[in-house]
Amino acid sequence: MGIEVQFSTLFQQIINGLSLGSVYALIAVGYSLVYSILSFSNFAHGGFLVVGGYICYGLLAGFSVNILFTVPSFWWFSGFSVDFLLPVPSVNIWLAGAGALAGAGLIAILTERFAYKPIRERTSITLYLLIASMGISIVIENIFVIIVGGRFRALPPNTFPSKLFTLIGGVTVNASDILSLVFAVFFLGGLQLFLNRTRWGLAIRAAACDLRTAGLMGVNVSQLIAIVFFVAGLLAAVGGIFLSARYTLYPQLGGTITTKAFVAAVIGGLGSLPGAVVGSLALGLAEMLTAGFISSQMRDLVVFSMLVIMLLVKPAGFFGRQISDKI
Amino acid sequence: MKKSLAGNAAFIAIGVSLGLIPLSGYEEGIIVLLCINCIAAMGVSLLTGFTGIFTLGHAAYMALGAYTAAIMTVRYGIHWFPAIVAGGFVAAAIAWLIGMPTLRLTGDYYAIASIGLGEAIRLILENWQSFTRGARGFPGIDSYTTRWVAVLFFTALGTGMFNLINSRLGRELKASRDDRIAASLMGFNTPSSRMKALLISAFYCGISGALLGGYMNFIQPSMFDMMKSTELTAVVVFGGLGSMSGTLLGSAIITSAMEYFRDISQYRMLIYGLMLVTIMVVRPEGVLGNREIWSFLPGLTPDRKGRDQE
Amino acid sequence: MSETPKDAGNTRVLLELDDVDMFFGGVQAVRNMSFTIMEGELAGIIGPNGAGKTTIFNVITSVYSPSSGSIWFREQDITLLRAYQVNRLGIARTFQNLRLFGRLSVLENVMTATQNRYRYSFRESLRGYLSPCYRPDPKFYYGFVESLLHLGRWSGTERQIRTLSMELLDRVGLADRANQAAGTLPYGMQRRLEIARALALDPKLLLLDEPAAGMNPEEVRALNDLITGIHREFRLTTLVIEHHMDLIMEICPHIVCMNFGAKIAEGSPEEIQNDPGVLSAYLGVEEAAG
Repeated sequence: MGIEVQFSTLFQQIINGLSLGSVYALIAVGYSLVYSILSFSNFAHGGFLVVGGYICYGLLAGFSVNILFTVPSFWWFSGFSVDFLLPVPSVNIWLAGAGALAGAGLIAILTERFAYKPIRERTSITLYLLIASMGISIVIENIFVIIVGGRFRALPPNTFPSKLFTLIGGVTVNASDILSLVFAVFFLGGLQLFLNRTRWGLAIRAAACDLRTAGLMGVNVSQLIAIVFFVAGLLAAVGGIFLSARYTLYPQLGGTITTKAFVAAVIGGLGSLPGAVVGSLALGLAEMLTAGFISSQMRDLVVFSMLVIMLLVKPAGFFGRQISDKI
Repeated sequence: MKKSLAGNAAFIAIGVSLGLIPLSGYEEGIIVLLCINCIAAMGVSLLTGFTGIFTLGHAAYMALGAYTAAIMTVRYGIHWFPAIVAGGFVAAAIAWLIGMPTLRLTGDYYAIASIGLGEAIRLILENWQSFTRGARGFPGIDSYTTRWVAVLFFTALGTGMFNLINSRLGRELKASRDDRIAASLMGFNTPSSRMKALLISAFYCGISGALLGGYMNFIQPSMFDMMKSTELTAVVVFGGLGSMSGTLLGSAIITSAMEYFRDISQYRMLIYGLMLVTIMVVRPEGVLGNREIWSFLPGLTPDRKGRDQE
Repeated sequence: MSETPKDAGNTRVLLELDDVDMFFGGVQAVRNMSFTIMEGELAGIIGPNGAGKTTIFNVITSVYSPSSGSIWFREQDITLLRAYQVNRLGIARTFQNLRLFGRLSVLENVMTATQNRYRYSFRESLRGYLSPCYRPDPKFYYGFVESLLHLGRWSGTERQIRTLSMELLDRVGLADRANQAAGTLPYGMQRRLEIARALALDPKLLLLDEPAAGMNPEEVRALNDLITGIHREFRLTTLVIEHHMDLIMEICPHIVCMNFGAKIAEGSPEEIQNDPGVLSAYLGVEEAAG
């Protein structure tokens, strides 16, 4: 009896973990893709996810935008506040999702164009890019705090099917979990095809080996980087939509999830896309199993311990390249 | 060598004047906060700017210092001075434990590990209810961080830091920052150099956290999250990597800018984020680059001719 | 054992490589390498690009540990020591692709090396702190407290280090550039600064890795004079790597010639020049290259 319950919890948590892991994978793959080209940790990556989530939410539920212009009193006016509801025709989830993907991709391109490109062109020190990306992530987070407020939001009910399937042994599976798993597989498979079957995909793989040489070989580097950021933003938005369906949507969601995606990417091997997927699944499983069997407060602690242990045991991750220095 | 004496005198003079000028209570609060932030920033600067180890988890060492001092003063009734110093030493001791395995990592890997460790320390403080009172925070700390205490610690630690980077350890750290392999082939035990830098920086952050607890009378694990760590590193980069006076300048500018925008608290973080991006785009090497502020004064450096010719 | 050069009859063996192999993955970069350097020698290793010359230096200085074989320095096995320990025994080197501390000034670059002539002892420092009359041994460094306060031996030791470093800079002709950032020096000067930095360690064996790379003929001639001058003046055992034959032939009485990771000849310049193996493997390549 007790063992049966344990078993069904185990099975349940494995399914939950895979589903969560697949969502992480969408985010970690985009992050890893950017890392493989530009060798820096893009902290703004979680911001793209939040952008996607909010666009989807807004298109489904309509925005209640509150812009409060409070300006320091030494200026000639003391401030005003605008409160309005954006008139949005109710669209279905497919349109809202497409809008979210395109919007997040666009924001990613703009971020690269206006924040990273000037730095990239000036120096090769990736630290500066990293700090700038932190700035961007703070900016995106707080733009949403200002215009839509900091409270938690849930996508309207019935956005995703929430039917429960009961499998053998009393294990229940939520349809939306299956859906997110299917979508993650679909998008990751699409990325794989894009990278392996198209000319741009080839160029991206070449640039991941050596960006400068790829440029010398006639690849249009700035266009390539724009495409990479668009893809990364798009995948992050897919992840963002499913995360906001699974939990809730709030401006700080990005920061929390970026850290998880880093951890996943490091466990798999920085810059390696299959590594990012494997790392994400491992992370999702670890989180859900901890939540199911130990305590849900320990989830994050387990995640960070996994990170540190992995870095100590095998810093290059499961699939990473060993870096060596020429002397 | 006379220059060093003059520098020390100048620094102490700044400290004395910070302690003596008459100020309103509000301004005094800003001075205290400034001193606290500067102490932590100097610690991070030694590690990031002078040793080239990029950290995103140093707020955790502030947390360790803050909790040590708070628990010692509130629960055991120990005088605030040994409690503050103990805060620094506890932070350094934990840094030693953490550094032993992790300092082997370089570049982004150490940065990511430091995020993980910083968050782990915060989560432990949050979940260890019986000892730290958990996420709701630790109230009732005496306000032992008066202006004099903050200024005293700032002056002492600041003078020490400037002297330190201007002696054998400073050169050792800078050498291993610029080229780790060449440094080890010049006879430096680079893992141990990195450890020294980490211990000193954790000590500074621990002291800073202990002072912060005495200033706020209340501490909470969420005060020392990744945001705070990011801020510490951002201040250092803003001031200029490898410039200690730049760090102090950067810390002063960012602390006062945040204070200035207090009225529009909603926009404060937005402005902070925009500032970071703008600085990186406009002047990534920071306000002072890797030079100290006095090297901009004419007549103090023997000759800059060589530099100008290139 | 290889034959010892005639002019080094009564001196001691300084460095000995005994059957050293080095593999990188499946590639064998160094194969059965054995040679001996006597105290006071000026020796050279030649060989075409990719012959494994720099790998030999990396193995000697413990940047890599050899896959098999052993390395002896002054009758001590240094095969498994760490890089900084090997350095402290008295082996200094320069790098083929310059590895200066780019953001430090020229003077500071030399000072980082000069300061390692001093040793640190906690007991010595403690005695210094506790009794004001105690005059510590000048070969020891000032302690941590003295660094923090800039008191005690700090100023004396720093002044000594600075003076010594300036003398060396003067010797290689860089004294007027002392305050410039090392990374902004022209190429030839960076090479000379590397030599000064290596000399500052007061080594017993100096390893120069392609010191003439990227220099014009005039600079090479000046470098020749510098190397032979240093060798004579400091009585310093020196081992030079070059793939340009001319420099080595001119200054080194003892030459080891390598190809594909293995030693193909050893001896005096005349012997090397007349060795059929060298002619086919190396000179042929040189002639074809022009």
